[in-house]
Amino acid sequence: MIEKWSYSDSVESREIVSLEDKYGHFIDGSFVSPKSKKYFDSISPSTEELLSQVSFGGEADVDNAVSSAREGFKTWQKVKPVERSKYLFKIARLIQERSREFAVLESMDGGKPIKESRDVDLPQVSANFFYFAGWADKLDISWGTDKLKPYGVAGQIIPWNFPLLMLAWKVAPALATGNSVVLKPAETTPLTALLFAEICAEAGLPDGVFNLVTGNGETGAFIVNHEDIDKIAFTGSTGVGKQIQSTLAGTGKGLTLELGGKAANIVYEDASIDQAVEGVVNGIFFNQGHVCCAGSRLLIQESIENEFIEKLERRMQQLRVGNPLDKNTDIGAINSKQQLNKITELVESGINDGGSIYQTECELPGNGFWFKPTLFTNVQPAYRIAREEIFGPVLTTITFRTPEEAVEIANNTEYGLSAGIWSEKGSKVLWTADNLDAGVIWSNTFNKFDPSSPFGGYKESGFGREGGRHGLLSYLKEEK
Amino acid sequence: MSEVRKTYKMFVGNSFVRSESGRTYSLEQKNEVIELPQASKKDVRDAVSSAKKGYSSWSSLTPYNRAQILYRLSEMVEGRKASYVQILKESGISTSTAKKDIDKAIEVLIWYSGITDKWEQLSGNLNPVAGSYFNISHQEPLGVSFIFPRDNLSLNSLLLSILPPLSVGCSVISLSREAGILAIMLAEDVHNSDMPSGALNILTGDYEVILGDVSKHVEIKGIGVNSVFNNDDYTIIQSNGSESVKRVFKFNESMNLLSLTPYLETKTVWHPKGK
Amino acid sequence: MVQDFQISERVKLSWSDTAELVGSSSVDEVGLRERVASLATRSIKRDSKLQALNMIVSMCDLTTLEGQDTDGKVSQMVAKAIRPDPNDSSVPSVAAVCVYPGLVETAKKETSGSEVLVASVSSYFPSGQAPLESKIHDTKYAISNGADEIDIVINRKAFLEGDYRRVFDEISALKEVCGEVHLKTILEVGELGTFDNIRKASMIAMSAGSDFIKTSTGKISAGASREACCIMAKAALDYRKLTGAIIGIKVAGGIKDSKDAIRYLVLIKEEIGEEWLDSTYFRFGASSLLNDVLRQIKKLKTGAYQDSYYFPRG
Repeated sequence: MIEKWSYSDSVESREIVSLEDKYGHFIDGSFVSPKSKKYFDSISPSTEELLSQVSFGGEADVDNAVSSAREGFKTWQKVKPVERSKYLFKIARLIQERSREFAVLESMDGGKPIKESRDVDLPQVSANFFYFAGWADKLDISWGTDKLKPYGVAGQIIPWNFPLLMLAWKVAPALATGNSVVLKPAETTPLTALLFAEICAEAGLPDGVFNLVTGNGETGAFIVNHEDIDKIAFTGSTGVGKQIQSTLAGTGKGLTLELGGKAANIVYEDASIDQAVEGVVNGIFFNQGHVCCAGSRLLIQESIENEFIEKLERRMQQLRVGNPLDKNTDIGAINSKQQLNKITELVESGINDGGSIYQTECELPGNGFWFKPTLFTNVQPAYRIAREEIFGPVLTTITFRTPEEAVEIANNTEYGLSAGIWSEKGSKVLWTADNLDAGVIWSNTFNKFDPSSPFGGYKESGFGREGGRHGLLSYLKEEK
Repeated sequence: MSEVRKTYKMFVGNSFVRSESGRTYSLEQKNEVIELPQASKKDVRDAVSSAKKGYSSWSSLTPYNRAQILYRLSEMVEGRKASYVQILKESGISTSTAKKDIDKAIEVLIWYSGITDKWEQLSGNLNPVAGSYFNISHQEPLGVSFIFPRDNLSLNSLLLSILPPLSVGCSVISLSREAGILAIMLAEDVHNSDMPSGALNILTGDYEVILGDVSKHVEIKGIGVNSVFNNDDYTIIQSNGSESVKRVFKFNESMNLLSLTPYLETKTVWHPKGK
Repeated sequence: MVQDFQISERVKLSWSDTAELVGSSSVDEVGLRERVASLATRSIKRDSKLQALNMIVSMCDLTTLEGQDTDGKVSQMVAKAIRPDPNDSSVPSVAAVCVYPGLVETAKKETSGSEVLVASVSSYFPSGQAPLESKIHDTKYAISNGADEIDIVINRKAFLEGDYRRVFDEISALKEVCGEVHLKTILEVGELGTFDNIRKASMIAMSAGSDFIKTSTGKISAGASREACCIMAKAALDYRKLTGAIIGIKVAGGIKDSKDAIRYLVLIKEEIGEEWLDSTYFRFGASSLLNDVLRQIKKLKTGAYQDSYYFPRG
């Protein structure tokens, strides 16, 4: 595509990041070599270059981390609540001071555009620590009782789509409520978590309160199965979530799950169309669609379908795919080869099933993992692309005629994480919200997050909430 | 080394000012007598004018932003802990009592900065009305508030008096006599912080001079009075305040959610739910 | 609703078709502001920046609309318009100069032989508070003196009273007077109150025959904004889909500096397309903007900032 005026490269420098060749686990306040004696590669999905080698967490490493967390919990219990606050406020400040470094590293390790890691992820990360810091000394008024106590040692397993932000969503409330933590970041995105561990040491957080074990699914299983963990918090696929729930049956351990989604973004004919197009685009293409609450199903009222799709395709064509470190990039790399294969397979199934596909014209870089922004129309609700979570930059369109039909189609899924509603009629927005089985509903907006706003799903999208006053209950239980 | 200065000024609209009347009052310290400004009626009017602007700026910040400013203030006070202790000692307080007081004051500042972006989650709520309506009650700050703290030599006590209105977004004018120097020291830290001009104003002197004006000033929306305030004078405030249905109340210096409620107005909004 | 028209025809709509467009005009304020803010994060550097700066110069309507304007003042401005940087002939001329009707004759004389057009305000600019006959007379006078373009103001009195028909009819009448002369219609977005109203006013102005829609008179403190420009641009895009006609956009009043001006270009490019990135369809109403652009061009070319006295007064 020949442009009359094209943007020159504006690449953020990598110099601010200094990576070690190898990283240990962070246990009992310092970095230690893995007892497993094994390391694995962490690569950049946009260039496939090796960034660093991180430790593999075997059973002995997990055991080491949990013992440290158990002692850490005892230490943490003796720390006055207001002092817990101060540690978390300090961590928030330190992250803020190094946010550019974190943002660049996040984009290198995970593939997301620097524009997003800089403007969305990092501000939310420090805001989360700041917000939860302020709960530590007022848990007694949070739910009208002083009988709420921390679980003890919390095992936390987080995904690769918002590595540092998912860490903040887990660690901040856990520590604020008095728990200690063993955290396992995703296999493909361990680096910002390791930098975070450095911050904890710098903040003087007592040894054992925060522990980090890197690894893969096996490592996660060791954590879930460990006897001396009191609570598991997991964000990831519904498949694995179900396994964890099954494993924990009968153990008495606390559990919260934040799983997949297939959110409906409902556009009524009386929406402000241009803003709805913007919202739909943001809903599915933000973060390459690697978002559990992504608006991956466009439910469009038939009367405006043609006008809307035309505007949507035109808008999609403006999305810039490329180097995550270029400040003008909108769509970065797909996180891994594995994920790219999954997206490709599902898109092929959509074509075979009979859907019409539109993909934007763009040049994809030679190496790395990439996928063009994709739109399917003429889709039937039974197609796999209308039912399964793709977790990529692929939007599926389904039409409806009445509000009841919209709600019925929207709810016709085992998922229930989020939904979007676009209409200028307030009463219809509220009626629709009342009738949707989803834990987070955005009207005339999408993908808005705040530490004070509870997030979590209905049905097979998981249970428990993160964020806000309700998010505290994920880490506190009532003593008898 | 002492940081006691001979010239103390009130804090209005982010500046340090003398009383426009030129009048002062005296405070006997251990080693010297300090002159502080005696606030006049005109000073009150100027303070209210600043506090109105301050309310507009302060309340339009996000709660997160207000929380950050207050937290930063706690760090600044902690950084000057030795100076605050010194001031209390000069006024005759024992070292250990002074240290305890400042430590407690810092904890109180941290508590209130952390409630700033949370109180609405505790005091606001959805109402389960019988009908197809979305009905929500939420609170808005009163506006300009005038506070009469207990005026004992305690930073903790002073903060418990002025932080509740500040953290919900009101602007504050506070009057101290015995605790005048302490209040001005706090004003110095506020001056160096990112708190918008006029959000917090500190006046000093005897309250009798300005009682009538304060209680009649229509643009002061709320008057908070300490729990040991003179009863007759409290009656005057209430009686004058009735002319404009002013919110007048006594506060208890407790660090809890209820400390915030006098400074809030509840707004309830109904919206039908239907296709 | 409306038939398909050929792209070459300049199309006016009937009032009833216009009323439908006006009635369905709705803009979500929060969403619109976010989109505009997001576009402002584009980082325009080096070659793309130089190209943008040159485009901006070529899109400027160098303007003077003061009670104290004289023939001498206008002559100086025209000289600058034709050759903005006397030391660099690669810098293009501006698109037009914009003056009050009484200065059109001088402007026309001075611009003769160059590509620079002469635009005149009329219709009792800036308030528009006068009967239609006066506005027609004002416009005829400017045209008889040789104006190439006419910048009128919409009747805000009628608009805010809800009398959209009158707003429409006045613009139609003035376009009739203009004939082939280009008509730019100023919406005065700072007085319209809501984003919905900006979209409504845009639809009325385009449907009634305007060749350009313009944000502001520059005479009130609330001038152009990228939000207003975005709303007008989207309206123009929709209008083009409907009728085939490309209506131009002019932003005026308060465009502070090159950085801001470049953000407008980014907005136009990404929101409605590169076709509009030409002085035929996009203009900046500017006075002090031009010097900042020249400074930035010089800096990119030489690596050093220049002081303002290097560039002639205009």
